[in-house]
Amino acid sequence: MTLVSPDSGPGAPPASRPGAGAASDLLGSRQRFARRFFAKRAVIPASLIVLAVLVAGIFAPWLAPYDPLDQSLLDTMQGPSSEHWLGTDDLGRDVLSRLIFGARIALIAVAQAMTVAVVIGVPIGLFIGYMGGWWDRIVMRVVEAVVSVPGIMVVIVIITVLGTGLTKAMIALGLLFSTAFLRLARGLVVAEREELYVRAARVVGAGTVRIVRKQILPNIAAPLIVQITLTTGAVLLAEAGLSFLGLAVQPPDASWGTMLTTASRFINLHPWLALPPGIAIALVVLAVNLLGDAIRDSIGRGVGETAVLRPGADGAAARSSIAGRPSPGPQARAGVPTDAVLVVSSLHVQFPSPRGVPLTVVSDVSLHVRPGETLGLVGESGCGKSVTAMAVLGLVPEPGAATAEAILVGGQDVAAMSRRDLEHVRGTQAAAVFQDPTTSLNPAFRIGDQLSEILRIKRGMSRSAARKRAVELLDMVGIPDAAARTRSFPHELSGGMAQRVAIARALSCEPKLLIADEPTTALDVTVQAEVLALLRDLQRELGMGMLFITHDLAVVADICDRAAVMYAGEIVEQAEVTELFANPRHPYTEGLLGAVPQTAHRGTALRSIPGVVPQPGEWPTGCRFAPRCPYATAECTAAPIASVTQDTHLFRCVRAAELTLEGAQ
Amino acid sequence: MLKLAAQRLVALVPLLFIVSLLTFSITDLLPGNPADLIVGDDATQEQVDLVHERLGLDQPWPQRYWDWLTDAVQGDLGTSFFNSVEVTDAVLLRLPVTLSLTLAAVVVALFIGISAGLIAALRPGGWTDRAATAGATIGQALPNFWLALVLAVVFAVKIRWFPATGYIPLTESPGAWLRSITLPAIALGVGAAAILARQTRSAMVGVLQTDYVRAARAQGLSARRVVLKHALKNAMLPVVTVLAFQVTVLLGGAIIVEQVFAVNGLGSLAVTAVRRQDVPLVQGVVIVSVIVVVLVQLVTDLLYGYLNPKARPS
Repeated sequence: MTLVSPDSGPGAPPASRPGAGAASDLLGSRQRFARRFFAKRAVIPASLIVLAVLVAGIFAPWLAPYDPLDQSLLDTMQGPSSEHWLGTDDLGRDVLSRLIFGARIALIAVAQAMTVAVVIGVPIGLFIGYMGGWWDRIVMRVVEAVVSVPGIMVVIVIITVLGTGLTKAMIALGLLFSTAFLRLARGLVVAEREELYVRAARVVGAGTVRIVRKQILPNIAAPLIVQITLTTGAVLLAEAGLSFLGLAVQPPDASWGTMLTTASRFINLHPWLALPPGIAIALVVLAVNLLGDAIRDSIGRGVGETAVLRPGADGAAARSSIAGRPSPGPQARAGVPTDAVLVVSSLHVQFPSPRGVPLTVVSDVSLHVRPGETLGLVGESGCGKSVTAMAVLGLVPEPGAATAEAILVGGQDVAAMSRRDLEHVRGTQAAAVFQDPTTSLNPAFRIGDQLSEILRIKRGMSRSAARKRAVELLDMVGIPDAAARTRSFPHELSGGMAQRVAIARALSCEPKLLIADEPTTALDVTVQAEVLALLRDLQRELGMGMLFITHDLAVVADICDRAAVMYAGEIVEQAEVTELFANPRHPYTEGLLGAVPQTAHRGTALRSIPGVVPQPGEWPTGCRFAPRCPYATAECTAAPIASVTQDTHLFRCVRAAELTLEGAQ
Repeated sequence: MLKLAAQRLVALVPLLFIVSLLTFSITDLLPGNPADLIVGDDATQEQVDLVHERLGLDQPWPQRYWDWLTDAVQGDLGTSFFNSVEVTDAVLLRLPVTLSLTLAAVVVALFIGISAGLIAALRPGGWTDRAATAGATIGQALPNFWLALVLAVVFAVKIRWFPATGYIPLTESPGAWLRSITLPAIALGVGAAAILARQTRSAMVGVLQTDYVRAARAQGLSARRVVLKHALKNAMLPVVTVLAFQVTVLLGGAIIVEQVFAVNGLGSLAVTAVRRQDVPLVQGVVIVSVIVVVLVQLVTDLLYGYLNPKARPS
């Protein structure tokens, strides 16, 4: 694909500028471009159509069976026959021959309009981009004015001056489309200039011509080709339209547009005439547009193509985001108090993978939360703690699928629930507060409206009662001047205030369980403590259970009664917080405790756990922590490790009995 | 909102000024003397000079522009070169026709485009998505005047559901108006629908992955409500931007589609004017279209401010 090669010639030095590496990226990824480009299904047929038009246009006199202007008044308006494959028109001219010569007109039209557009647009764009100041301002104002006028009006004005005819109309069209190329070139130069100021290349004395040649031209080739391809379709449509109006190609010359003019005159008698030129235009424009899209997508740095977990097979598994497994009987839930507001037993969450084998991100997670109790769910990012929380609400992101023996929220099994019942449970039985308050509130609605909408729908309140209650809720979470604040939009609040609003929203229907997914992580340190205190107070006041997700053991110590430590999709240890901190039984917990400044032993150096969390799909068969564990032996990696419960302390380590692990104060 | 409207209005004045300057300069760019055009080939030099003077062509350029501008601001866009028709009258007679066609096409484009984009976005990669995307790709490639011909053949000639040609004003008979405008509006609107569908789809796919959509679902609001209220309002932001531009495109496209259905709007006026190089008439059509475009931009700006609180001046 030398077409998109951005370098100006053989031996040109690769652009070595930091940041704007489009050129060097492309240089190294020509093969990647070709692979991406041809991977698209439509590319081959589209290329064939474009090739066919090129061949037809260039070799028209040899390919066409008849002279496109030859009239035969004895054979007018014939349908397709062996002599005239596509029939004849009102003057007995061969439609196929006119179609083939029309392809030639289309090529000429594109070549003319595109030449004018590029030759006028690019240099002016480069010039004003480089000069800046008044040049830039005045020209851009004119460009804005031209762009705001319907394109055909601009062309009409220019044709008024120049007169009708294909070349004149194409000059007009080229002038119109030159605005697009002008803006493209200007944009590149402006971006380049900003970078130049940073690098002070101008001070060093790099000449204008040199800058344009070395920096701009290599970078402009790729976007220019994309722009040309995408503009070609527009030129083809415009040429046909202008010829149809009689402003471009003049009869009797054959262009697809003038053929449609003829067809429109005889549409009642002989509608067939409209099909060949119309289909020709549509097909060619379609092909050119598809090629343009494909080129653009292939040149781009793969945005939107990385698709980590793109569904390869979005089958039935994806559709049922929660599916119940056969109930295992009561013994599976031994040790779970009967008044628990949340019981999760043996939760598995899987995502379909491109390779076909489902990717497990959460495996065999069981936990429970009692009223008034806070369970911390602790782990590094990517360990599956947030997905676990979402599964409780039946909101595992598609195409993931959760399966569990049971997920009881307020005694009801959400794993076996209809969508409607699930929607009823959300908000009233369990609600959630998320990490980033500035993105978890809808930016388009006032916060008062966001609160009262929920109150009206979930609790059936009247408009005025809901509005009053919304003020009370905002007051409850400590928002000053709550009544006035209901009229604020989320972007008018600070992060801490926004999180208070999010908490008010979550508590609006007085849920029995609050899921707090890293609610303080995105906040300023000073605000974190306030929000934690607020959550603790509200919990005491309302007596609700809380599932508190965090990666921060200091926060666990601060707010949680019990904690479950997650690693690579499973719970490796679970105990009362005091017990967990004093007597960790799993080496991972020990590692976490050693890495926290507040809990590490005074006088010893802060430790970090070597290595990284393995990705889902790359989990070892035995203990998943073994590769990073300082105590690992052969038995750790032999087989999956079962969890053991002693009193209320659960751990998943085969060497737990022999190890003496270091806790925290 | 009023403040936003005022701000935007003021910003549009320079635009109108530049457009008026550009269109006015056509007269001077014409090859040869416009007076020759008017009087015809066999006129005497005296006649040419007389017309030359009547057009004010002997005046200096700034003087002529000023005269034209002051007249134009008062609603007088001059007289046609070829008959004594007042340009303002001629344009205003045709404008409602083109406007109602454009507006009907906008409705078609919004309806098809947003619903198709929405359905596609609900299950990215699914068959509805693939069908909608394929439909949008094809819709973008169809020449509107050809689609107009095909629709006319099928729905007006073969099955006589709609009239093949002609336009009946809304004031005359709303029912007949709707019948006369349906096929042209569909032919014109499909291309814009395709673009709006693509835009809606990509915006909606993005919005449906946001935290606030997840939060609304977590709060127990129904999927329908979250999609149609919470997500749609945010997803419409980029769509409105595209729509503003599409209205401009549709106004231009109306000129071509009108020809197919023999609807006497700005299109036939403009085409005749261009062929005869009737400068005042061309100027009039362009200026009035630009005023329409500017007003549309104002409306979309306000719509944008409604959808996006951050864009409102505080």
